[in-house]
Amino acid sequence: MLNRKAMALVMALVMVLLMAVPAFAQEPAQIAVWVAFGTARLDWTTQKAAQFNAAFPQYNVVVEGGLTYEGLDQKIKLAAEQGTLPGIVQYNEVSTTLARDSGNFKSIADALGDRTEVNGIPANFDDFVAPVKNYYTLDGKFTSMPWNASSAVMFSNMNMLKAAGIETIPATWAEMEAACETIMGQDGHPTYCFTWPNHGWFFEQWLAQQNASMANNDNGRSARANEVAFNSDAGYATLSWLKSMYDKGYLYYGGKKDGDSWDYVDQSFLPGTEVAMAIYSSSDTAYYTNTGKTNGFDVAASRLPYNQDAAGGWTGNIIGGGSLWLVNGLTQKQEDGALTFLMWLTNTENAAEWHQITGYFPVRQSSIDLLSTDGWYDVLDAAGTSQVWKDDAAVQAGKGTSWFGANPNFIVAAQQVADSQSTPATQGAVMGAFPDIRSIVTAATDTVLLTPDADVKAILDQAVADATKLLQEYETLNAP
Amino acid sequence: MSLSTPILIMLAGALAGAGLFYGLNRRSRTALVMGALGGIAGSLLFMVPLNFCMFETERTTLDIILGLILIVVGVLLVVIPLQWLFGRFVERRIAFTGSQAGTFKGTFTPFLLLAPTIVILALFLYYPSLDTFRLSTLLYRLGAKRSAFVCLDNFTALVDPDYLRSVFITLGLSLAIVVLGLSLGLLIATAAYQPVKGARIYRTLLIWPYAVSPVVAGVVFALLFNPAGGIINYVLKNLFGITIPWLNDPTYAPWAVIIASVWKSLGFNILFYIAGLQNIPKDLTEAAAIDGANAIQRFIRVTFPLLSPITFFLIITNMTYAFFDTVGTVVYMTGGAGPLGSTNTLIFRIYQLGVQNNDLGKAAAQSIVLFLMVIGLTVIQFRTTGERVNYGGA
Repeated sequence: MLNRKAMALVMALVMVLLMAVPAFAQEPAQIAVWVAFGTARLDWTTQKAAQFNAAFPQYNVVVEGGLTYEGLDQKIKLAAEQGTLPGIVQYNEVSTTLARDSGNFKSIADALGDRTEVNGIPANFDDFVAPVKNYYTLDGKFTSMPWNASSAVMFSNMNMLKAAGIETIPATWAEMEAACETIMGQDGHPTYCFTWPNHGWFFEQWLAQQNASMANNDNGRSARANEVAFNSDAGYATLSWLKSMYDKGYLYYGGKKDGDSWDYVDQSFLPGTEVAMAIYSSSDTAYYTNTGKTNGFDVAASRLPYNQDAAGGWTGNIIGGGSLWLVNGLTQKQEDGALTFLMWLTNTENAAEWHQITGYFPVRQSSIDLLSTDGWYDVLDAAGTSQVWKDDAAVQAGKGTSWFGANPNFIVAAQQVADSQSTPATQGAVMGAFPDIRSIVTAATDTVLLTPDADVKAILDQAVADATKLLQEYETLNAP
Repeated sequence: MSLSTPILIMLAGALAGAGLFYGLNRRSRTALVMGALGGIAGSLLFMVPLNFCMFETERTTLDIILGLILIVVGVLLVVIPLQWLFGRFVERRIAFTGSQAGTFKGTFTPFLLLAPTIVILALFLYYPSLDTFRLSTLLYRLGAKRSAFVCLDNFTALVDPDYLRSVFITLGLSLAIVVLGLSLGLLIATAAYQPVKGARIYRTLLIWPYAVSPVVAGVVFALLFNPAGGIINYVLKNLFGITIPWLNDPTYAPWAVIIASVWKSLGFNILFYIAGLQNIPKDLTEAAAIDGANAIQRFIRVTFPLLSPITFFLIITNMTYAFFDTVGTVVYMTGGAGPLGSTNTLIFRIYQLGVQNNDLGKAAAQSIVLFLMVIGLTVIQFRTTGERVNYGGA
């Protein structure tokens, strides 16, 4: 029997529920993004997420970062085991095969379906620079969203080069040797001529320039790769060149530090007194150019020196860096939100902004075109920029002139990649156990350099045998 | 592999077990039967979980040898405890009834009180240890779609010059760390034990490095040894005019690791030696002095032998430290395997495989080998120098 008290209670409950309904409908979908970056790059991403959340209040993007690529890799593996994956993760380029094989991610093409735009953001994937789009297109489907793309370049201390009478930066291995001879021949020469971080990526770049693949089956692009192939003539030539430069005292090698030897290059090149040239990744163009200026010398970026004796000369270079992957199994709203964020973060203006504060080259052709005009500052400002961008000295200094005109170092990587011929070698390898194989290459390079009278061929053959074993183990455990 | 192999193995096990029991007990058929049963159980202990995989036709001699070793170990593992139990029961050397002072009256109280500890130990120590055995027979990568059973391949792959080199490097590093750590520790402890002003402060300061983790020691010494900006090379250059490529040269990199590890363990050694020195009764040294022994003779004949329990303890602890804890130092100083793999210790291999590459099968196999190695060394240690330790007074 419903008395008054009960009626009042029921009415109150109904009122509360009715009030809550709009709240439920408006609660923004949570999208967590895991990236590897820390410091300024993480700040940029966080600020951009805030900008996105303000423009799309139905979504709430939260960014987490501050790890190395390997650390983030671990975190993702553990989260996959526990079922706590976020909405979007970043993987570096060598983990592409692992990400694809894991089944934890949905390709962008599948998520987009037949749509041409999501939440008002057009899906203009053809605007992506071709090598970048091709790297992350697997089995004919556009799989992950390219975000930070780099290529191998060389930074030269122009003060030192000019003091030795060298006006043009060496472009080939022979020119490097000649330049080093000149530089090291004069009085008061720097301690070393050039340096490079012993990281397997550079070996892959040199191979790609000589149109040599890392693995079989067209570098894993026409069928799954199950054998490695880097003990080719090109691999032998690369390690022999490095060894001869090291033996002559031109090359400064700080140690392999298990592939994390970028610090040795920073410490030797950036003070400006020890080393004349540094082979490095274009991802730190901003850092190197600005630090050089602070330390009193001009830094000029140029393309990675290539083997002039290779059949066909210079074929092209591969990209490096990472991409963003969309996690499988999200709710429809979360997935749309994640897809929107991915497309918005890599739109023309944001890609241009990202390039300016890092040095990762702009992944969109429209971004490159925008930055070549004089009015880029106002366009970006109108679209909404991050505090990191507003605080960047080079950005403020370049207002009103063509960005690439005022900062020629920044276009080198993009041009190098754009000029590359598209062959399986330059498209980059798609193979399992790639991070481990890179470690094997790094260790082999270390052995070649540090062993006096090294038998380069034997060391390379052993490395290939070890790498093939690992690749075949990967295939046993992961092939579909 | 036909059905005959397991039957042969069980027969061999039965014979071995029966023979052992009969020989040890000189008893009747009960002993024989128990021995035979124990032998069968022992021989099957390792073979059944592995499904006799190492005797299959395409396996190498090494696999078969390992299989035979496992059978022998299995038989021993079952027969020896069985023999102990058998002996106790038959000769009634322990009374399982009757209460003595200090024992619990109820049957379940002790187990209830032990339960929390046992649960935690079981979950976090025993279960992972047993799982290691399971993992060592698999090809297992974290994040892979599936795992593959590879029998003893992870173990046979270790019979290889590269792994042997790691064994030598590890043994060499450990020997250096133990010898240097103990001798320096004793020297400094003796000096710090002298009745000088402020001795207490010195002792506290000397013990401090012990509080630091091996990783921090690695980072600090990596900076000190840095070829470009490190203090050590700066001093060497200005005083002696030499430059040593500490972290880049395969001959010097292990020494850099040794120096960093000895520095870190010095605090521990000094602490224990000072405590040991305090426990030496003064009248012994005085008596020796009266008898005409000088300082060095007093040290060698009186002090050092009385410190032998501490020395023995420190050798074991330092050895454990050198085998296991130095992985942090190695990772942060020489970036892992070091120049030309000169600091590629056994524990670093396990860290690289298990933590960095997530190759858990191989890491588990190497862990088991390292574990057996350290147990073996400890047993040898107890058998040889353990005999010469004098506990307590004269």
